[in-house]
Amino acid sequence: MNETNITNAKQRIEHIEDILSSVAAGDLDLRIESEYEDDLTGIEEAINLLIDDLTHELKKSLKLKAEMEEKLLKIQEQQKTILQQQEDLMELSSPVSKVWENILILPVIGTLDSQRTQVMMENLLQKIVATGCTTAILDITGVPTVDTQVANHLLKTVTAARLLGAECIVSGISPAIAQTIVHLGINLSNILTKATLQDAMIYALRKNEQLINGKVVLNQAINEETI
Amino acid sequence: MIELTSDPGWELLEEHPLETEFDIVKARQSVRQFAKDAGMGIVDQTRITTAVSELLRNMYMYAGGGIIRIQKGLFDHHQSLIITCLDEGPGIDNVELAMQDGYTSGQGMGYGLPGAKRLVDDFELQSQPGKGTTVRVVKWK
Ligand SMILES: Nc1ncnc2c1ncn2[C@@H]1O[C@H](COP(=O)(O)OP(=O)(O)O)[C@@H](O)[C@H]1O
Ligand SMILES: [Mg+2]
Repeated sequence: MNETNITNAKQRIEHIEDILSSVAAGDLDLRIESEYEDDLTGIEEAINLLIDDLTHELKKSLKLKAEMEEKLLKIQEQQKTILQQQEDLMELSSPVSKVWENILILPVIGTLDSQRTQVMMENLLQKIVATGCTTAILDITGVPTVDTQVANHLLKTVTAARLLGAECIVSGISPAIAQTIVHLGINLSNILTKATLQDAMIYALRKNEQLINGKVVLNQAINEETI
Repeated sequence: MIELTSDPGWELLEEHPLETEFDIVKARQSVRQFAKDAGMGIVDQTRITTAVSELLRNMYMYAGGGIIRIQKGLFDHHQSLIITCLDEGPGIDNVELAMQDGYTSGQGMGYGLPGAKRLVDDFELQSQPGKGTTVRVVKWK
């Protein structure tokens, strides 16, 4: 190798170094340019190919990252929707509706934790005030376990409704739950109960009739129906 | 945790920490299922589930949580479902008082512990102030 060749090679190696450091710094648009065809050319081309590959991989991983972020965003949104639905469901699972003149029905479904009971009670009391109904049926057919806390909540709801001028009927206490309540020792005799929702409806309708006809003194009717 | 004397022959079905109200719901569902699997009728299923519900609520309310352990095995010569609730809460100062109908230190009805006892075939409570409370209920067919 002569002097010129060596100088030339040095310059080209410096050029390679420059390009590599630019690549390292993140600039992937640069490529090694050379006017010569010799032993170094192979290395220069190999490095260019490497940069090409690197660019390709980087683009791929950037795309992947964007996709992942998009997915994550979607999941987060879904999560928000689920939470919202849960809240809605909590409202929904204590839907108070006026089924007949003067009669409200509240079907209680699922587990009555303190939070849900609170919502249920508020809904019912609001509806009593808004509609002026004087009979409310709380149907607990869908409540699997009635323990002392649930019973306590029921008692409180019935008492609060009474203060607002509405009489509550609790329906849907299964024979197994009735026995269990007795063993627990809770006294529900102050609450008017009916075996089924249908029984409760019949009672409420009859009470309506009597109210309209004014035939019987209401208290007397209630006493007769209470067991 | 206060451990009660137990029979090494009992089979462990489930053991979970209880931290939230949702855990109470899940534990109650397990107990009902195990009672059903044990061949208990709807009345017995309801009794044991309700008794356990009382213990879990107490553990959640007064001890801030604990552990529920569900086992099955021979108890007093009966094939039984054995449920133990263990907590490291404040403990109960006066157990006799706590077991009385209508006694509550809070806003409850005071029928949880005595009621649970009436609903099961065997009931054992041990408590030590500062150490915690362990209650075990047993139901057989
Ligand atoms: N795991 C427990 N840890 C501490 N204190 C308890 C625990 N369980 C019950 N108690 C005490 O025993 C009392 C009676 O319990 P219980 O019969 O279930 O009635 P209630 O829960 O309605 O108060 C409670 O008020 C509480 O002071
Ligand atoms: Mg209690």
